[in-house]
Amino acid sequence: MSLFGTTSGFGTSGTSMFGSTTTDNHNPMKDIEVTSSPDDSIGCLSFSPPTLPGNFLIAGSWANDVRCWEVQDSGQTIPKAQQMHTGPVLDVCWSDDGSKVFTASCDKTAKMWDLNSNQAIQIAQHDAPVKTIHWIKAPNYSCVMTGSWDKTLKFWDTRSSNPMMVLQLPERCYCADVIYPMAVVATAERGLIVYQLESQPSEFRRIESPLKHQHRCVAIFKDKQNKPTGFALGSIEGRVAIHYINPPNPAKDNFTFKCHRSNGTNTSAPQDIYAVNGIAFHPVHGTLATVGSDGRFSFWDKDARTKLKTSEQLDQPIAACCFNHNGNIFAYASSYDWSKLAASPCSSELTAARSLGWT
Amino acid sequence: MTICQFFLQGRCRFGNRCWNEHPGSGGAVGGRQPQPSGSNRRGWNTTSQRYSNVIQPSSFSKSTPWGGSRDQEKPSFGSFDSGASTSRNRGFALSQNPFASPSSDEDKDEKKLLEGIVKDMEVWESSGQWMFSVYSPVKKKSNISGFTDISPEELRLEYHNFLTSNNLQSYLNSVQQLINQWRNRVNELKSLNTSTKIALLSEVKDGVNQAAPTFGFGSRQTVTFGSPGFPVNNSSSGSAQNFSFKPSSGFAAATSGSASVSQNTPAFGAAPSASSAITTSTPAFGFRKPEITSAASFSFKSPAASGFGLPRFSGFPASMAAGPVGVPVAPAFGSSSSVAGFGGAGSRSHTAFSKSSGDAFGISSMSASLPVSSGSTTTDNVLFTPKDQLTAEELEQFQSKKFTLGKIPLKPPPVELLNI
Repeated sequence: MSLFGTTSGFGTSGTSMFGSTTTDNHNPMKDIEVTSSPDDSIGCLSFSPPTLPGNFLIAGSWANDVRCWEVQDSGQTIPKAQQMHTGPVLDVCWSDDGSKVFTASCDKTAKMWDLNSNQAIQIAQHDAPVKTIHWIKAPNYSCVMTGSWDKTLKFWDTRSSNPMMVLQLPERCYCADVIYPMAVVATAERGLIVYQLESQPSEFRRIESPLKHQHRCVAIFKDKQNKPTGFALGSIEGRVAIHYINPPNPAKDNFTFKCHRSNGTNTSAPQDIYAVNGIAFHPVHGTLATVGSDGRFSFWDKDARTKLKTSEQLDQPIAACCFNHNGNIFAYASSYDWSKLAASPCSSELTAARSLGWT
Repeated sequence: MTICQFFLQGRCRFGNRCWNEHPGSGGAVGGRQPQPSGSNRRGWNTTSQRYSNVIQPSSFSKSTPWGGSRDQEKPSFGSFDSGASTSRNRGFALSQNPFASPSSDEDKDEKKLLEGIVKDMEVWESSGQWMFSVYSPVKKKSNISGFTDISPEELRLEYHNFLTSNNLQSYLNSVQQLINQWRNRVNELKSLNTSTKIALLSEVKDGVNQAAPTFGFGSRQTVTFGSPGFPVNNSSSGSAQNFSFKPSSGFAAATSGSASVSQNTPAFGAAPSASSAITTSTPAFGFRKPEITSAASFSFKSPAASGFGLPRFSGFPASMAAGPVGVPVAPAFGSSSSVAGFGGAGSRSHTAFSKSSGDAFGISSMSASLPVSSGSTTTDNVLFTPKDQLTAEELEQFQSKKFTLGKIPLKPPPVELLNI
């Protein structure tokens, strides 16, 4: 398909080729940079599901566009297609068969992008920007779930312009994750709600937030039987909470850990605390990756409660991350996330990390 | 004695019976069960957490004395815990000296809370973290007023909108305003003069009510209808100060959602499906709310029963040993200034618990207040005794720093003598 038009993204504004002699830190890990990165900050990333051969990466950006790349095993990335919204794109997701991409945007709509025909149609409407979008595939129904800053969670059958269901949220939706039959939504004012999706979505439980500050990102993890059993919740305060839904011993099983702070374990000197911008679980190993405003990503093992690896510091915050369906590729987006409140010249790089082979 | 290596790793099988020394808790409360904290071996900080069972501030995966949450607590929490543990030890000491003054525990807890808040504010300011976030001093409680939640995306969107209308200056102004507001609030909380203190404490205690319900039920699961999203600061309909748990608003709303699903739906009195799931070992006490006379359906005694406090208290030393379960529930029990909501996780339970430990002993004043709370709304003359009703001896007792054995008044103290 067409390349990404007039962007200057390719090869300029910081996307220098690796091996460059400048000492800038935009890719200290020497990971593969995706070509034709969007011009403005990347808000969200999503890899294609296993039903699609090959790996395709979708990224939504604050430049109102959504781009698709094919990521080959060699690490080469080939830009494939692009769609536009009329507002910055806040979330993207794939349908389970890999033929459609759903995009949620600040223009209060969500669109369904059919990749085969490269057509995008609007499938959802809210009263405020749509912050999260997920595809739900249940045995007896399938739909798109959109969470918005208008404090509602709506479920859409893509064929109709009326939502199948509307659920009220206590506050604006900040982040959500879905692994059938469980869905978790984290809202403003430290709200946290778990939904069960069997037969029809309904609220399962409201949970007291294990964190003291604003919720930023959430990701569901599965147990050994591949059933969703809990979630990881990240806040703006450099902390992630691991929370099981029905643990045998909640006091012991649920815990929080600090991450993305400047001073490591030394708590006496004032640390710099950074927001956790994204959490992703490795689909096979169950380890989790967190990316933060400090420009680092880290891998953790939540069962052993240890940190596995932290990257070097990039020069920009990392705004989003994603694993591909078999966990071989980890993609992270280095771009300004507004943590310093002011407009900063936004170059953004999308980097697909090397294959993550560890035991 | 030799120091037990397994205990240091957090996995001594013998616990109390171990023939080796367990540092840190060797002399203190007996009967603490070995915490299966195998994962402590490799702390997040990758420093060997040798004293994993000993309370350490701000160490990740430390286990609290209640075998409670493995939360990695911020230093403020750590101070909570260490404060709690000392007050727990004091509680034990109290068991030998039952007539020590109970009231100092409450003050201590409040102080801990306030200190925690101050510390958090300092960290917040100095760390450069995102400012526009709500904050709650103790994890499972409601948010403190004065902070608004704005996500970076929302702010950025504002920026974009202003950009298109070429009105950057007004964006900058509004951001500046927000920043100033935030800073003011943070400074207020840091400096903590008496009025903010009082407001804060009442928020934390009462405003929490909606959030409270969850942990009251002994059962450790997180069934909670008190999502912070709920009208948090509704100081509920003024009923007994002692029992600040106002589940009603929270519940009524929440039960609509999750009626069917969870087996653990506590549905406290609000929905009929009072599940017996709650009846795990400890009487939850959380809901002494008078309306909930369906409390009878729960395992804990109804408020009126004078036996109320007792089962827990009599089991006191034992339940200390029992680790998580029994203890955290205790807090719910009417300490008049109980900061702690419900058993919930670690720290708060300490505070209340240790307080109630103090309360347990020589507490007839508490039992005096028990029946009171079940019915009353403002309870001034029952929570406190007017001075003229006290004998000289009682008055003297209240005025002294500690109660003397054998002379502890049976009536609650007069309000004038309380320092808040």
